[in-house]
Amino acid sequence: MRKFFGMLAILTACTFTGTSLAAAETPEQLVRQSSRDVLEIIRKNEKDPVKVRELVDARVAPLADYTRMTQLAAGRHWRSATPEQQQALTREFRTMLVRTYLSALTIYKNAQVEVKSVRAGNSPSEQDVRTEVTLPGEKPITLDFSFEKNGQDWKVYDISVGGVSFINNHRNTFASVIRNDGIDGLIKQLASRNASTGNK
Amino acid sequence: MRLIAPLLLTTLLAACASPGNNYDPLEPVNRPIYGFNRAVDKALLRPVATGWRDYMPPPIQTGVSNFFGNIDDLFAIPASALQGKWQSTATGTGRVLMNTTFGIAGLFDIASRVPLAKQDEDFGQALGYWGVGSGPYLMLPFYGPLTLRDSVDPLSRLAWGPIDYIEPLAGQIGYYSVGLVNLRAELLPLDAALDEALDPYAFMRDGYLQRRWFKVHDGNPPHPLPMGDPDDDGDADKAAGANDPASGAATGATQ
Repeated sequence: MRKFFGMLAILTACTFTGTSLAAAETPEQLVRQSSRDVLEIIRKNEKDPVKVRELVDARVAPLADYTRMTQLAAGRHWRSATPEQQQALTREFRTMLVRTYLSALTIYKNAQVEVKSVRAGNSPSEQDVRTEVTLPGEKPITLDFSFEKNGQDWKVYDISVGGVSFINNHRNTFASVIRNDGIDGLIKQLASRNASTGNK
Repeated sequence: MRLIAPLLLTTLLAACASPGNNYDPLEPVNRPIYGFNRAVDKALLRPVATGWRDYMPPPIQTGVSNFFGNIDDLFAIPASALQGKWQSTATGTGRVLMNTTFGIAGLFDIASRVPLAKQDEDFGQALGYWGVGSGPYLMLPFYGPLTLRDSVDPLSRLAWGPIDYIEPLAGQIGYYSVGLVNLRAELLPLDAALDEALDPYAFMRDGYLQRRWFKVHDGNPPHPLPMGDPDDDGDADKAAGANDPASGAATGATQ
């Protein structure tokens, strides 16, 4: 019996350290670690953009809240979408972002990412991490990651490149497509683009 | 030209004095122009810029980019001073002096190695600093996106750029052509995202306006640039206060 309690104590301790370690990962740490890993992936596979895309996607997926991202990009229309439509839209939006942006990463093989500041967001569960990406001989580009605490974990729901936010840049387009063709129309348009150029 | 440009600037300033960030009231005019620009770009400018990037020896590309960057720096000096940014004014002056002399008319960016960092300032930002709203978004034929306020920059270039010192017409044409190709080549990395956009016109507009908003506030805007129907934000905690009571209630009911 004593042995059992001992085991239980150890197990509990492990579980707690486990969670507290995970919870201790601040947005800043997440950005530092993932940018280091992403740059390493790019350097090791600079000849193979498709592989870069796949590996980076796998690396950053656990950190990204694509559902939240899609919700914000869809704006008020999100509320009138069925759960199935929300899922489909999230899937297609994510595919599009990954395809468009992660394939272009190979030009950043010599980049340096420096965390400049961490700012509190509108609420305690939001934080913005500002980084600067520098390529040799070029002006630095600001890259802002907006984090939101989702239960225990901090997740990215928006990225701004030089002040241009992913969400904001898609919101108006999404709204006008939805107004004309409905949510299904938007899903269909994104899906057909993803399918036609997906193998590039 | 020297007479007309200041006159245009004055008119423009008067026009800008009306505040507010009208969100693309000229869209019906802008869109066809954008379609035209895009056709010209696809047929001519983009292929030339791609060729420039792929085949022009990198030292020449850097030299040309530095040369036009030095002119940007020159105009950044008064723009910094107008905002009372003395440190930035001094750094910018040092850059131009050093790069114009030791850097051989700006072909070499020696100042960045000192380091005297490039100052990202222009007259549009200076006006924005003093509270002038962007005015309507404009799409100029053969040029691209602009706002009424930010047109002070291309206009001041026309008025006071080094073009008057270039004598034969062929030289002037060459100056503008190389400048244009250089600028376009620098924007090539954005093409992938633009081509993917469901509505490239809106994508470029919203990107341009956010970028300028960001620059006017030196990278720390007090809030994101409001664009379009505030209710399209559709997010309970973010759009609080911007929503009308009815949609606020709807948000509360579903979240």
